[in-house]
Amino acid sequence: MSTPVANPSNALRAPRPTLRQRWEAGNERPVWMEKPKPAMQLGKAILIVAICFMALYPLFAVLATSLSSQTEIANNNGLVLFPKEPTLAAYQTIFAGGVVTNALVRSLLITLIGTALSLVVTVAMAYGLSRRNLVGGRFFLMTALFTMLFSPGIIPSFLMVKELGLLNSYAALVLPTLMSAFNLVVVRSFFMNLPQELFEAAKIDGAGDFRILVQMVLPLSKGVLAVVGLFYAVSYWNAFFNAMLYLNDDKWPLSMILRQYVLLGQPMGDAGAVAEIAVPSQAIQMAVVVVSLLPIVIVFPFLQRYFTKGVLTGAIKG
Amino acid sequence: MNAATRPAGPSRRNFLSVAGVGALALFGAGSLAACGQRTVAGVSNASDALLPTTIPLKAQAADIAGTADGVPSAFFKYPKAFRSVEKAPLNGTKITAITNLFGTAPNGRGSNPAWQAIEERLGGTVEITSVSSDDYDTKFNTVVAGGDLPDLMLNNGSAVKDTIEFLQAKCADLTPYLGGDKIAAYPNLAAIPEIFWKNTVQAGKIYSLPIPRNLTGGSGFVNQTMLEKVGVSSTADIKDKDDFYRVATALTDPANNQWALGSTKFGLTMLHHIFRTPNVWRNDGGKLTRAFETEEYLAAIEFAAKLYKDGLYVPGSEGWTKSQMVNAFIAGKVAMIYDGLPAYTGPTGYGRSLPAANPANKAVPFIPFGHDGGKAQTWLDNVTFGTVMLKQNDEAKLKEVLGVANFLAAPFGSEEYLLLNYGVEGTDYTLDGNGNPIATERGLLDTAVPWKYLAAPQQVVFDPSNKEIATTLHSAYSKLIPLGVANPCETLFSPTDSSQGSKLGQPVSDAATAFIAGRGDMAGLKAAIAAWKTSGGDTIRGEYEQALAS
Repeated sequence: MSTPVANPSNALRAPRPTLRQRWEAGNERPVWMEKPKPAMQLGKAILIVAICFMALYPLFAVLATSLSSQTEIANNNGLVLFPKEPTLAAYQTIFAGGVVTNALVRSLLITLIGTALSLVVTVAMAYGLSRRNLVGGRFFLMTALFTMLFSPGIIPSFLMVKELGLLNSYAALVLPTLMSAFNLVVVRSFFMNLPQELFEAAKIDGAGDFRILVQMVLPLSKGVLAVVGLFYAVSYWNAFFNAMLYLNDDKWPLSMILRQYVLLGQPMGDAGAVAEIAVPSQAIQMAVVVVSLLPIVIVFPFLQRYFTKGVLTGAIKG
Repeated sequence: MNAATRPAGPSRRNFLSVAGVGALALFGAGSLAACGQRTVAGVSNASDALLPTTIPLKAQAADIAGTADGVPSAFFKYPKAFRSVEKAPLNGTKITAITNLFGTAPNGRGSNPAWQAIEERLGGTVEITSVSSDDYDTKFNTVVAGGDLPDLMLNNGSAVKDTIEFLQAKCADLTPYLGGDKIAAYPNLAAIPEIFWKNTVQAGKIYSLPIPRNLTGGSGFVNQTMLEKVGVSSTADIKDKDDFYRVATALTDPANNQWALGSTKFGLTMLHHIFRTPNVWRNDGGKLTRAFETEEYLAAIEFAAKLYKDGLYVPGSEGWTKSQMVNAFIAGKVAMIYDGLPAYTGPTGYGRSLPAANPANKAVPFIPFGHDGGKAQTWLDNVTFGTVMLKQNDEAKLKEVLGVANFLAAPFGSEEYLLLNYGVEGTDYTLDGNGNPIATERGLLDTAVPWKYLAAPQQVVFDPSNKEIATTLHSAYSKLIPLGVANPCETLFSPTDSSQGSKLGQPVSDAATAFIAGRGDMAGLKAAIAAWKTSGGDTIRGEYEQALAS
């Protein structure tokens, strides 16, 4: 059976109407372009509000409880949503001694410096590994990927940090986690999917790899850098385990201070050990949670627009 | 008369014959002879002469004297301080330590005048590595694997799995320095009564220093105001379990958000005391029975299930965190909870926190009664917080470290105790009209350095805010300790129990929880107990029995 052949002259004379034109003409509407029915819109609105409520309710409860007196918290079974007499006493307490303030500063510095160093190392390695002509590239990539599958374990890591003389130094919080293999893969994939013609053109114009990376690749990679930077920043901000292993309490970051407060409210042990702990005011516990959340909450909205794009670009392609 | 002034501490057997009245009947004298000597099968026990001699210090008289069976002295105000350590134990040297930290991190040495003053008195520096109790096992084992052991190491009972081997390989035998009268060189350590030193003996040698507590964790607390509203002046006046059920029913009024009971893990300790469940193990002439194998245990669990089923527990309270339980008790939502007796005193203790939330409310320790109209039986389950091991070192270094421990064990009433617990006068605390130290905001952080988890004296009852609080707590100890029974295996060692005990016992605990909460039945609990026996429980029993017999 022969296939009907379109008349080329007709095609030239009458261009096919656009989707919107066809939709407005009422004869063809893809389902996603249909105007939603009011009931559907209401349902979606309710669903979105419910999801927002589930996300915001705990945050609101934490904030409200941090602004309450211990008596009010006790009288409300530990959860205050609308303090009758809001007080900043919990915040005054945690900031008065200087321990939380100092830990906050330490955490900020560790996060900023660690994130910057991690980005430099990750970008440099990802760029190298994204070049197809790199000698031994596959070996280095596999070596990096190996760390995703097999972690070194606590004691070998501790011994390594100890032998390097990093115990009780802030470098112990940064160097062992300087580069994440996952982030390396994301950035490398992004770099590999940049048009090769750009690289070829730059090389023809005489640019070296460093110049290509700095002046061409990085400006095109703001999205993925923002995402990976956020990943690193969050992990440095939240990291407590390495701090617990490698640092004495006078150098603890905020995450460890927070952990100390929160642990005291956890389920009890047995017998006499139970009363060894004076449970701190729940308002103070919540205030420390709020303080630890604030920097991430402040930074995230500025990076959010890069977030989805960056992750998808790096993850799907390549 | 306080602990420091009373005559030479009771001998080990004397103590047990007094404190463990119930224990004598249950365990028999033969088994008691073995208590106090931690050993492993095949390792011979130490003789009694091994334990340090108790040499009381000359100290101030207590407002309410302690007793020979371990009831602590009580003070209404801090006495005029005396100096207990004249010579600095260090000579510009440094020692290291690892221990627990409760609460927030303290101010660092550079901005901590209390820390600086303590080190000035010590004559050197102490580098302390401290983490929360939840992280301690991980941190400790990592440090041990690193091979660079600190001079002082807290043994919290779970961090060191193969205790005997670790002690023998890595820790100093302190017997030549502390055994018998040798301890006289360290007067503050010598003032710690013998009962606490029993927990420091392993494989026939003194391997550690005790961190004393007040013998029993108690049976919990009750809201006295709520109790009086239903016509009961004290829980000790409750006749039996049926009377308790009636009282609990009267205390429960869900419509008014009020229940009789509500505690993390059902707060079963008070019920076990009422039903006279053994303290971990029962010793019948060398034959051991685990507490959950006894009829008393099953009866207590069955009674808890009945209370739960009839709505006398706050629904879901078994999963409460400590904060939730404390809040519920303070708010008057629940009338009876289980928490350790030390939670009664201090600024956040129940003695003060209940009246602060509602002046009409008052908390008192729960004094148990017998389920059948007889006597209750409490547990001597809080003898020590833990022990502190010393790294193997040359003699001179060990004496230095013991000197530091002697300083840290300065008794209540001494200048050193004041410095260690309250800091520097004027900066960390001020004295009220009665000479009592009142901590400043800064003082709370300066004194958070965990000195008291490296070495400590025998405890006293002290709450300067209110005489009644100290009196009530002392009275509770006076009633609870004579009813106390020891765990006959407290000072023995079972390799299987050390490595697998918690894991093996968990299914029994889970089955009991399920039964009480109505998700399981008694048959399920009994099956879990039978499974425990075959999966390792009998091995544990055998190891302890062998240790008892050796």
